[in-house]
Amino acid sequence: MTDLTALNRRGFLKSSALASGGLLLTIALPACSSMTHKGPVMDEQWQASAWLRIDTDNRVTFVLDRVEMGQGTYTGLVTLLCEELETDPANVQVEFAGVDSFYNNPLYKLQVTGGSTSVSTSFERIRLAGASAREMLKAAASQGLGVPVGQLRCDNGFVIPPSGQPIAYGQLVRVAATHKIPSDIVLKKPEQFRYIGKFDRRLDAHVKVTGQAQYGIDVELPGMLYAVISRAPAYGGTIKSVNSAAAQQAPGVVDVFPMEAAGRHGVAVVARSYWQARKAQQLLVIEWALPKSAPSDADVMAAYAQDLASKSGSRLRNDGHFSRARRQSSTVLEAEYRLPYLAHATLEPQVCVVNANQHGMEVWAPTQAPSLARIAAAKHSGYRVDDIIVHTTWIGGGFGRRLMQDFVAECAFIADRLQQPIKLIYSREEDTRHDFYRPASLHQLTATVHDDGHIHGWQHRLAHPKVMHWFVPDAAAAQFSFMPKFLFPALTAAGKLGEGILAPNDSSGYEGADDLPYAFEHIQVDFVHSEPGVPVGYWRAVGHSHNGFVTESFMDELAYQQQQDPLQFRRQLLQQHPRALAVLNKAAEMAHWGTPLAGCAQGVAVHKSFGTWVAQIADVSVDGGRIQVKRIVCAVDCGLVVNPDTVKAQMEGGMIFGLTAALFGKITLKNGAVEQSNFHDYPLLRLPETPELSVAIIASAEASSGVGEPGVPPVAAAVANAVFAASGQRLRELPLQLV
Amino acid sequence: MIRLTVNGVEHTLDIEGDTPLLWVVRDVLGLKGSKFGCGAGLCGACTMHLNGQPFRTCITPVAAVAGQAITTIEGIAPANNLSAVQKAWLDLNVPQCGYCQSGQIMSATALLATNPSPSNQDIDNAMSGNLCRCGTYPRIRSAIHRAAELRRTAEFYELTEVRHD
Repeated sequence: MTDLTALNRRGFLKSSALASGGLLLTIALPACSSMTHKGPVMDEQWQASAWLRIDTDNRVTFVLDRVEMGQGTYTGLVTLLCEELETDPANVQVEFAGVDSFYNNPLYKLQVTGGSTSVSTSFERIRLAGASAREMLKAAASQGLGVPVGQLRCDNGFVIPPSGQPIAYGQLVRVAATHKIPSDIVLKKPEQFRYIGKFDRRLDAHVKVTGQAQYGIDVELPGMLYAVISRAPAYGGTIKSVNSAAAQQAPGVVDVFPMEAAGRHGVAVVARSYWQARKAQQLLVIEWALPKSAPSDADVMAAYAQDLASKSGSRLRNDGHFSRARRQSSTVLEAEYRLPYLAHATLEPQVCVVNANQHGMEVWAPTQAPSLARIAAAKHSGYRVDDIIVHTTWIGGGFGRRLMQDFVAECAFIADRLQQPIKLIYSREEDTRHDFYRPASLHQLTATVHDDGHIHGWQHRLAHPKVMHWFVPDAAAAQFSFMPKFLFPALTAAGKLGEGILAPNDSSGYEGADDLPYAFEHIQVDFVHSEPGVPVGYWRAVGHSHNGFVTESFMDELAYQQQQDPLQFRRQLLQQHPRALAVLNKAAEMAHWGTPLAGCAQGVAVHKSFGTWVAQIADVSVDGGRIQVKRIVCAVDCGLVVNPDTVKAQMEGGMIFGLTAALFGKITLKNGAVEQSNFHDYPLLRLPETPELSVAIIASAEASSGVGEPGVPPVAAAVANAVFAASGQRLRELPLQLV
Repeated sequence: MIRLTVNGVEHTLDIEGDTPLLWVVRDVLGLKGSKFGCGAGLCGACTMHLNGQPFRTCITPVAAVAGQAITTIEGIAPANNLSAVQKAWLDLNVPQCGYCQSGQIMSATALLATNPSPSNQDIDNAMSGNLCRCGTYPRIRSAIHRAAELRRTAEFYELTEVRHD
C-alpha cells in the first residue's frame, strides 16, 4: 500500500479556485510503470495529468489523460473517483486531456496508456483526489453550518448534516476552494465500498450505441483536406522514380508530393475529398528502390536460427545448474516453437487530423501516447514542441498499435507543408502493410529427465528483436521534450544505449519466459537479440503473447512425457503459487476437467502477465482436419476488482483476440513487403466461429492488476493442447494447422 | 446532381456518382456514426439500411442508391430515446472500443425486423459479416436475444420503433 502522507508530501494534489467559483483539484498520475524512466522524482517540477472540477451548478467534470480504447479505463477511473467523492458515476462528465505546454515535464513523464496499468497506477491517487474534495466540501459545510466535520457525511452529491437539509456540492465549492487540501485523509475500507467491486454500468456505452462517440476519423475542421499516402512496400524503401502528372490533374487534387516520415518514404496525395484522393492515388506511377534489408519471412527464421546457434545471448535466469543437469540426465526432450509476425488490425485504421498555421499546430489523434505524438509532430514539422497541442479522441481499438506515432508524423508533415487542416486516413490495405508488427520469434526448449524419472531441468532460448528500438525515437525525446529538437536524434541513440540505465530494460521478447513459475530445480532462460529490420511494436500482451503459448505448450509435452494428467502435472509444480492454483482449480471446476463436451478434447493453460493470473481450458474438436473450438472457460485473479463486468469483458475480448492469433493470424513478407492486405487474407475471428466463453473472477484483496492484456496469453496453448489431446498432433507453430 | 434520402431527409447533392455512399453520408451530410473499416465490404462497420435491408456502403456508389430510402445509426431511434437493440446493447455493456458497434446494431436491427425471434443459427448467419476486433461477439449474441425480448413488449415496440421508408 502506498503511504498516503508521503504521496501528499510529494504534492501530487493541488487545489485552486476557479474564476467561475468552482473547485479545481489537479492530480499528478504516474506514467505506465513498465515504460517509465526510473529517475528521481522532482518535487519542485510538478505536473498535472488529471483534473477534478466541481462547478457551482453541481457538475462534476473529470479530465483524464488515460485514453479509452475499449479497455474500460474511462469507467474504471470514474468509479474510483466516485467511491470517495460520494457521487454517482453516471453523473460525472469525462473529458479527454491531450498534451499541451501545460504538461511540459522536464524529466520523467511519458503519457502512455499501455501495459495494463491504468487502474493499478491510479488506484489510490484518484481515490485520494476524490476523498480530498469530499473532505474540503465537508469542511466548507462545517464552516457554514457551525457543525463539526465529524458529524457530517456525504451521499450522492450532497453533504448531509445531522439535521436539516442536505447541501448540494455545488453550493459549497466556492468556500471549499478556500480550504487547504487536508493532510490526514482516510480512504474508505473495502467493506465500505459502494461502487468498487460493484459498479457494472459501462459509462461509455451510450455514446457508442448511438453513433455519437467521436473517433479520430470523425474529427472535422472547416476547410479540411484529405490526404492519402502510397508508401514504399518494404520498410526503409525509397522512391526510384515517380510520375504524378495524371494524379496532379485529377479532380479535386490539391497537391501531390514525395515525402518521408517516421522512416517511411512515400508519395502523398491531398484532395478536397477522401474519394478524390484515393482515385488520384491510383494514377500514380511509382518505382520503388528496395532498402538494404528487405527480408522474406523464411530469411527471418533462418537468421533467428543462426543467431540462436552462434550467440549465447543474455542469460535472464539461471536457477541451479542446467548444463550439469543436462549432462547427468537420462533423457533430453527438445522442441522448437515458431511464431509469426502479427498485425494489430484495429478496426479504426490509423488516422490523424492536423491543423497548422501561423499560430501553431493542433493535432487530433486516436493515440495511446499523446506526449509521443507531440514529439513526432515536432520532428516532422517546423514547429517547436511548445507550439503543438495534441487532442485525443475515442479510439477505435489500440492493442499497442497506437503507441507508435507514424501516422501523426506523416499528417504533421503534410499539414505543415500545406498550412491547412489535413485528415490523413490509412486504407485497410495500407494499415495492414504498414504496421509495427508483433515480432516473429523462434524458441528452443529443452527439458531434462533424470534417473528418478522426473524432470529437473528447463531451458528456454529464444530469438527476438528489441521492440524498444522502434519505440524509442519518439519516447526518448518525449522524456526530454524541453531539449532543443536538434538533440532528438542524440536522445534516441542515448535511449538505445542506455537501456536499463536511462531507459528501462526491454523485456518485450522474454517477459513470460524468464518468470516461469514452475518449480524445476534447474531453469535457464536466454534471450538472443536478433534484428531482421522488420518494423515491430507492442502488441496486446507483448512478449507474453508468444511466451504464453510456448511455455504452456511445452509444459503440456512434459506432462505427457511424464504420463501425467496435464492439470495435475502443473498443480504439483505450482505449490508455491497459491493464486495460480486457485485459477487452475476454478477453471477445472468450470470445465468439468476430464469430462469434455461431446466430440471434444480438453486442453489447459495458465499464465501470469501484468500481475494477473489467468487459467483457461478449451474444449476443441478436430473433425475432418478442421480445428473447432467449442468452449473456453477462464478463471482470473487480478487482485481487487473495480468493475467486475469490465474484467469479464476484457477476458472475453482477450480470448477472442488470442483465438484469432491461434487460428488465423499470420503476416508474411516477400522482399520486405507484407503480403496480406485486408480481412480476406488477414482474417479475424467472426461471430459464428466464436466459442461459448465463460469467465470467473477469483475474489481477492490483493492490489489490483491488469486485465486488458492477460486474457490473451493462455488461449493458443489451451487450444493447441486440446488439439493434441484430440488428434495426437503436437502443433508447435502458430497459427495452428493440422498436418 | 444526385438525390438521396437519408433518415427521411431528402438531399440533392453535386457529387461524383462513383463516390461510395459511406463517404457521402459521413463527409458531405456529416453523419459520422457509420464507420470506415475495410473499404471492401469485409468488415461491416459501414452498414446502413437500404429500404430496410442491411448493406455495405463502403463499396456502394452513391449513384446506385439515388432516390432510395437509406437509414443510418442516427436514424434508428426517435429523438431522446433508444431502439430496442440499442437498449439491449446498453443492458449487456456490449461495446468496448465501440468502433464496429454502429454496423453491428444496423445488422441486428435488420435481422429483428424480419425475424422477431432469431435462433443462435439465425444470429450467426445475420451477423457473420460484421467484424469486432475487441471480441464483443458473445455479448452481441446475448443482446440480440435480449432485444427480441424487449421488442415483444408491445409498449416498448410502439414507443421506440420508427421507420423511414
